[in-house]
Parts: sequence; structure tokens; C-alpha cells
Amino acid sequence: MDVKIFQFNGCNKCFYETLLLNLDENMNIEFISSPQDWKPENLDVAVISGYILPFDLDSIQKIQNNSKKIIAYGDCTTTGGIFALANQKGHQIIPLKELISDVTNVNGCLGEIEELISVINGEELQGNKSLCSVCRRKATCDYLDSVNRQIEIDDEETCFNDLGFLCNGFIAKKCKERCIDFNTPCRGCKPMVERSGIRMLGMFGTLLGNVEMATEHSEKGATDKLADADDDLTESVPDILGNFFRFTLPTSGLPRGRVQSSGNILQDVFIGRLIEELPLITGLLGGNKSISLTLKLIETYEKANNIEVSKQTKKYRNELLSLEADLIEATSNEDPQKYKATTEKIRKIAGNMNLSNVYFGGFKQKIDDGEDFESYKCHIFEIVEGAYKNGSITYSIDPKGVVKEITIKER
Amino acid sequence: MSECETIDEEIKENIQNIVVFMCNECGQGSANTAGIARMAYEPAVRIVRVQCTGQVGPIQIMDALNNGADAVACVGCCIGACHFFNGNLLSMHRIKLMKKLFKELGYSDQFINQYTSRAAEGETAVGDFEDIVERLAKAIKEEGTIKDGC
Repeated sequence: MDVKIFQFNGCNKCFYETLLLNLDENMNIEFISSPQDWKPENLDVAVISGYILPFDLDSIQKIQNNSKKIIAYGDCTTTGGIFALANQKGHQIIPLKELISDVTNVNGCLGEIEELISVINGEELQGNKSLCSVCRRKATCDYLDSVNRQIEIDDEETCFNDLGFLCNGFIAKKCKERCIDFNTPCRGCKPMVERSGIRMLGMFGTLLGNVEMATEHSEKGATDKLADADDDLTESVPDILGNFFRFTLPTSGLPRGRVQSSGNILQDVFIGRLIEELPLITGLLGGNKSISLTLKLIETYEKANNIEVSKQTKKYRNELLSLEADLIEATSNEDPQKYKATTEKIRKIAGNMNLSNVYFGGFKQKIDDGEDFESYKCHIFEIVEGAYKNGSITYSIDPKGVVKEITIKER
Repeated sequence: MSECETIDEEIKENIQNIVVFMCNECGQGSANTAGIARMAYEPAVRIVRVQCTGQVGPIQIMDALNNGADAVACVGCCIGACHFFNGNLLSMHRIKLMKKLFKELGYSDQFINQYTSRAAEGETAVGDFEDIVERLAKAIKEEGTIKDGC
């Protein structure tokens, strides 16, 4: 079977994951990293990954005319993905389904390679199980009194939402990355319903029923109305867009944002997000440099605010960095065996390829059973307003922890 | 008439569709009272009767906006007077979050609102409608309509 993998814009993470297709002997795989220059030829299956901008339409057309089957792989292609948060600032990232109706979606950030293989082989995707049904935590759905932004819990049985951490697991399918296993509430990269963000917003509006909300007197109606001013409710969720629409903004039915853009898609993704969410976001979109990018961002903040980092944490971080070097080597040599071995090692320390376990001050979940977890456990840190700078990465946050400016030079 | 007032009038004339979800108890009750008293109300308002404003969530609101509504509002019972339990409060919580979401997207937060009314007083509903149109007209004048971004 002739399979060609086309990488459009974005972080290449899903593109590299498709290296694993080479382990399957039935497939004749070819990787195409610049679809614009591709010379059209007939093929059985086209796998498209990466986010799509309006100027890619010609290339998409070309692929559509020459392939029998098209598969969208990864959230960037299927629902816009993390990069589509830039649509808040007026960019136009388009989900593939809006351009081609006859396309099979393999959702996820990172998309699951097992699912991709079964879709390429023409099998139906199985298992519509929700994430909650496989989560070890159990929900009661009681009203919350407050929202917790940073996580530090020993409780492993109560649902994140009941503890005050916003988790989008309700609308998510069960997945391979399983951030929930690493004390990281789900952000819904594998939605099982349409317009998942809007639904989650409604769900949380209800859950936050005990949080104080302001009303005001309406002159004309002579009764109370919902106030426009900020109150405890809006203060407790400073970044609704980044929380509930992280992967699905273009398919959510919301109008395209018209916030002033900084001109750069990568920067626009970060601006407006919360400091405690940054490691996960850099982990998601850093591609094969995600580890160094995430650690740099974390270490910048730690250094400026004197957050203590234990020896054990440093050891693990250095291990991750050397694994990243291996990963880059594996991807540049297109070596699936080495890629597989390296990612397995990364998953052991960082939890998954989205680096859910890596955090400010340490790690969120125990890595090795034989060790004392306290020696590298992360703790709640203080949010300090200011500008942070360390070589290639510069960012500034406001008193609430919202990113105001960011520049990343490396990429 | 000054130029400024002409623009205001034009904007108000262009507001054709405001979907207002009214609860079956106080909201619709007060609209009925207004009808019995033959009070005039804004022609742009389209009333959708629901059992309780607690039934109205972001999905219904976005459906209305995506299908051509200029704005959406809920009118429920007064605070503490929900005929069920706390449906009006829950709806207010959700609508407040939606207002914040619209601000985050760079739009005015006046496209969505929630009011309360009293069944015995028709003027509360009529006053709420007037308030909706006035706030919407002001928001459109300052920041444009929601359709500009769709």
C-alpha cells in the first residue's frame, strides 16, 4: 500500500510519530515535509498532519485529486489543535474537514499511532469509551466553592472537578497520553462530542454554582440583572478560552477572535494563557525541541523567583535533555527503532510526549517506585508579576499570571 | 436631529432579531401581564418560552447567535424566587462565563445578558427589553456587531 505523509505547518510531533509506520512491512511509506513542492502522483492513502492556513489550499487540492483516501492525523489537522488558539487573535487556521468532507479524523495531541494504523488498514475506529470511565478518580459533581489553579494533591480517588481543578475529561475519549495519570487535569484533546468546549463551559458554569456572582440593579426593569463587572466567578477562571477551547477553537462555533495580533502565530498561541499552564503548552507544540523549550521556560521562572530545585529533579531533567538529543538524531535519520526506544524512555520520566509530568519545582507524579517522591515533588508556587528573560525565551506575566508578552527565538 | 442621534437610530433600526429566553413562571408571567395591560414592547424581541432559564446553556445561546440573532438574553425569576430551586442562578453563572469568553475573543459582552422580572408587573419585562436594545445599540456603535467576525 502506498502511503504518503504530508506535514503542513506546526510542530512536527505527529509527523515524527508516523515514523513508527515504517515498522509495518505492508506499507510503502514516504514522508513529505513540504507539500507545496510535491509532484503529484497517484497514491492509496494520504495522511495529513499539521495545521492548515488559507495559503495551503492549493496543496490540499492537489493531494485530494490524487489520493483514494485522506486521513487527518492529529488535532491540528482535525480540529485546529493548540495552534488554533491563535484564531483568538484573528488568524485563520482551518480544520481539514471544512475543506474536504470525505476525510477520516484521527484526533489527539499526540494522535494515537495505533488508531492511525487501523484507519489506514480500513478498519473502523473502536472504543467510544469516555475518559471518565477509565479514570481511577470518581466524581460526585457537587457544586464547587472555589477553583484551584495549581495542583498539589495526595488524594487519588476524588475527581479533579470535585477538588476544584477544571478537568475536561467529561467530553474526552479515553486516550493513550493520559495526562490524568500525572496529576494533570484533561484539556480535552480527544473530544467525543461536537462543540466540546461550549459544552464544557456550560458544565462548569453549573459546577461553579456556589461561587459568588455579582448582580446589579437595572434602572429600566426595576429588578436585578446580571452585572457586567468582574466578580469572583470571572476571577476564578482567568483564561476560559485556553481552558475549554484549547484544541477545538475553529470547530467550536464561536466567532473568530479580533484581539490585536502580535503578528506571529506561535506568540499569539501563548499570549493570554496562564503561567501554570505554560509547561503543558510548550510540551504540546515544541515538536522535537519541546523538552528544551519547556525546561527553559520553567527554569527561567524558577531562577527569578528562587524556587528550589532538588538534585534528583535536576538529574531527571538532564536525562530528559539527553533523550531529546537522541530523539532529534532518530528523527533526522528516520530511524523508527531508535525513535520508539527514545520515546519510551521519555514517557517513563515525563509521563507522556506532552510532558505532563514536568512542572515548576519538580515533577507531579512519582517516576520510580524505589525512590523517595518527596525529593523531587513539585509544590504550589507563588505567581509573581514581572518580565522573565533567559537567552532565547522572554516572557512577562501580569499579577493574575496571564502571559502578556512572549518571544521565542529558537524556532 | 443631530448626526450622532441619526446613527443611533440607524443602529436601532438594524437590530432585527433578539432572542429572549423567558422562563415559564416569572419571565413569561410578566410578559403576559404586559400583554393584558396592552403595553408596547420592542419589536425586535423574539420570545422563546422555556420551563426555567436553568434549561438555557451556552449551546442554545450559540445556536441562536450562529443562526442570525443579534443578541440573546434570558429573563428569569428574581434572585431567590426560582420556582424550581436555583435554575436562574445557575443560568446566570453560565452566562457570566460566556460574557467573559466573548470579552476574551475581543467582542463586546453585551450580546448575552440575563435579567429578572416579576410576574405581577408587566413593566419589568418591558423595561428589560428596552434595556437589552439600548445596551446592544451602544455596544454595536462602539465595537461593531457579532456578525462582523463570523
